Amino acid sequence: MTMTAKQLSKPSPAGCPAERHPLDFIFNPKSAVVVGANASPGTVPYDIFHNMLLSGYRGTLSPVAPGKANICAVKAYRYVTDVPDKVDLAVIVFPAEVVERALEQCGQMGIRAAIIISAGFREAGPEGAEREQRVKATCAKYGISLIGPNCLGVINTDPAVRLNASFARKMPDAGRIAFLSQSGALCTAVLDYARDKAIGFSKFVSFGNKAGVSEVDLLDYLHNDDQTDVILLYLEEITNGRALVEAARRVTRGQNPKPILAIKSGRTAEGAHAAASHTGSLAGEDVICDDIFRDAGIVRVASIEELFNSAIMYAYQPMPRGDRLAIVTNAGGPGVMATDAAVRAGLSIARFEPPTTAKLKAALPAAANIKNPVDVIGDARADRYMAALDAVLADPNVDQVLVILTPQSMTDIEEIAKGVCKVHEHATKPMACSFMGATDVVPGVRMLQEAHIPHYILPEWACRAMADVQRIRQWREDLPQKTDRLPTDHAAAKAIIDRAPEGYLREDQALAVLAAYGFPVPPNRLCSGVDEAVRYAAEIGYPVVLRAVSPQIIHKSEAKAIALNLPDAGALRRAADQMLRHIGAAIPDARIDGLLVRRMIPPGHELIIGAERDPSFGPVMMFGFGGIYVEIFKDVTFGLAPLDLPAAARMLRRVKASQLLAGVRGGAEADLAGIEQCLVRLSQLAADFDRIIEMDVNPLIAGPAGVGNAVADVRIRLRAS
Amino acid sequence: MDRSEIEQRVKQVVCQVLNVEAELVKPECHFVFDLGAESVQSVQLVAAFEAEFGIEMDNDAALKVKTVGSAVDFIAKCVG
Repeated sequence: MTMTAKQLSKPSPAGCPAERHPLDFIFNPKSAVVVGANASPGTVPYDIFHNMLLSGYRGTLSPVAPGKANICAVKAYRYVTDVPDKVDLAVIVFPAEVVERALEQCGQMGIRAAIIISAGFREAGPEGAEREQRVKATCAKYGISLIGPNCLGVINTDPAVRLNASFARKMPDAGRIAFLSQSGALCTAVLDYARDKAIGFSKFVSFGNKAGVSEVDLLDYLHNDDQTDVILLYLEEITNGRALVEAARRVTRGQNPKPILAIKSGRTAEGAHAAASHTGSLAGEDVICDDIFRDAGIVRVASIEELFNSAIMYAYQPMPRGDRLAIVTNAGGPGVMATDAAVRAGLSIARFEPPTTAKLKAALPAAANIKNPVDVIGDARADRYMAALDAVLADPNVDQVLVILTPQSMTDIEEIAKGVCKVHEHATKPMACSFMGATDVVPGVRMLQEAHIPHYILPEWACRAMADVQRIRQWREDLPQKTDRLPTDHAAAKAIIDRAPEGYLREDQALAVLAAYGFPVPPNRLCSGVDEAVRYAAEIGYPVVLRAVSPQIIHKSEAKAIALNLPDAGALRRAADQMLRHIGAAIPDARIDGLLVRRMIPPGHELIIGAERDPSFGPVMMFGFGGIYVEIFKDVTFGLAPLDLPAAARMLRRVKASQLLAGVRGGAEADLAGIEQCLVRLSQLAADFDRIIEMDVNPLIAGPAGVGNAVADVRIRLRAS
Repeated sequence: MDRSEIEQRVKQVVCQVLNVEAELVKPECHFVFDLGAESVQSVQLVAAFEAEFGIEMDNDAALKVKTVGSAVDFIAKCVG
C-alpha cells in the first residue's frame, strides 16, 4: 500500500474537517471490533480481546464471536455486519481460511483499517500466498489500510487511546520511542526487555507479512506523530529498498527530523548471486545495506541491546553540540577502558579549561586524577562525585558526560544516584551512567532509569550509544542530497542502447555510451581487419591496445583476446595474428565482430566503478580498487544511484585503499574530482536507462591530477527491450 | 438412515459441542465463521459424530469438512 509523500501530506478540502490520515484508523480508532473472538482464555482470539479491554482502550470495543452472547461480559455479535456502530478498526483473529469472508464484511461496513493477526498466508506456502493476494485485493477494493497478516498486532500508548490490539502480555509504559518489527516473536521479547529497563514506547507495531502497510508507510506516519521522537526498526526482508531509503531521508532530515535506528537481519531479497560482473557478485551481499542505510540516515546496529542503548541516549538526553566526552569515575581501570572505547567509537576526550582543573583540584583529594578521565578514587562518596560532575558539566569544552561507578564497600550508591538525578534535572548537556555490577548497584540503577538517565552495565556500551548519537547529529548537519545532474548526451547514449539486443553491449558501443555520458574514454575504433587496425593505430599514435571483439568472449585475458602496450605496426600485426589463431582453435564458434584498437593508457591506480540493478533498491553503485583489493579484501563501498558529488566523495572516503589516491611515498595525488565525477556519471547512466542490468568500468585508470583518468575497459549488460 | 434423519442428528451434535442455539444451525453454516467453532472443537465434533453415528471417520478428511451441509454429506457416505 506504500503511499506517496504527496498522499500523506494531502491538505484537507477547503471548508471540510481535515480528513483523517489512513493510518489514524489503525493507531487512533474511535471504535474497534475483534473479529473471531472466543471465550477460551489462553487462545489468541480471547487474549487479544481481553488485552484491549485491560489496557483501558478509550474507544468503543465490541467482539464479533459467532455463537457467543458475550465475551468478557461485553455483548458479542455474530457478524461484523451486525455491529450497529460505525467502526474504525477491525482486528481479525479468525483462522486464515475464513479471514477473507470477515474482511469482505468489514469492507461492506466501511471499516477503514484492519489488523490481521492470523497466520497461514504468504509465510505458509503457495496456497497461503494466493490467499494473501485475495486479501490484498479486498483491501484495495474497499480502501482498507491493512497491518499483517501474521503479526503480533499494534500498540498505542497515547493516554487518549490506550490501544493494545496485540497478544503481548502487558501494555508497555508510555514513552517517546516507536518500535516497528517484522518479527512478531521478537516483539514480545523486546517488550519484556524494555520493561526491565523502564523504557516506554509511543507506538509498537508488528507488521508481519506487510501485505498492506509497510515499514515505509509507518516511517512517514511516525515522522508526523508528535508522541514519537525516535523510530526503531527490525527488518528481515526489504521489499522496496528505494522507497525505504527515500522515506528514511525524509524522516531523518529537514523539518522535524527524527532518527531511525535499525537492525537488518538476513540477506537482501535476492541474496548473493552468480553474476559476470564484480558488482553483481558483491552487490548481492548484505554489506550493501551498511552503506545504503548510512546514506539514508539510518543508523544500523547489530543487536537489540545496541538498538535500545542508542535509542535511550537520543530519546532521553539533549543533542550534544559536539563529540567531546568527559568521564567521571571512582575506578581508574574502567576509566581508561572507557577512554579507549570512546576513542574507538569516534568520540574525542575533552580537554578541560584551567578553571575546571582548578575546581577539581580544590574539591578532590591529592591522589585523585583531575585530568580526563576524572578519577575521584575508590573511597569517593556522593559529595566528591557531585563536585566533579558540577565542574566538568560547566566546562565549555565538554559536550557530554559519562559517570562510572564501581561498588566499593564505602560507595553510597543510592546517594550518588540521587545526586546524579538532581544534577540531571538542570543539565543542558547529555549525561549517561555506568554503575558497573549486577546486584549491589540495582537500587541506584533503578533511580537512574526512572529519571530517564541512560544507564549501561558497561562504559563501552555508553560510548557506542553516544557515538551513534554523533552519527545522527552529523547526518543532520551534512548537506542534503542534491539532484543536480552533470551534463550528458542522453540522446547519443539512447540511440545506441535502444538498438542493441539483450546481452552485453559490444565493447566499442559500450565505450561510446560512456563517452556520451562524459567519461574520459581514450580514442578507440572497432576495425574490420588488421590493415584498418594498423592504419588507425598510426592515426592515434602508439603504443596501443588490441582486443578481439566477440559476443562469445566475455573474459578477454582468459581467452587471450587482448594484447597490451603494442609499440608499433609490426607488433600489432603479430599480436592480431596470434590472437585470431588462438581464438579460432580454442573457441571455433566465436563470431569475431572486429578488432578494437585504442590508445594505451599510462599506468595509474586501477579502480572499479560498477552498477547493478538490485530488485529492491534499484540501481546500486559500487566503487573500489581493482585486483586483489576487490577480489581478496573486498574493500568496496556501495551507494544508490543517482549519486551527487558529495555522495560520491563519501563513497571514495569509505574505501580504505583510497588513501593511496592522496599520494603516498612520493606518489602523485590522483584526480579525485575526476573520479567522483565518473561515479556520478555512471550513476546517472544507471538511473536513466532501466534496460541496463549491470555495468563494470574495470579498470578506470586513475592518473595523477593534471593527467587525469581514463576508461580502460567497460562491460554493459542489457535486458531485453 | 435417510438424509433428513442424518441432518437432524448432525444439528443436535453441533448444538451440543458448540453450545449454539438450534435455529442458528443451517446447512450452509460454516463451522468457524458462522458458528464460532474453535480448533479444539473441530476435533471434538469429529469424535462426537463418530460416537453419534457409530462410525469411524478418516480424521484428515473429516477435518476438511467446513460446513454443516458438507458434514451431512460426508456422514451420509460413511453410513452408506
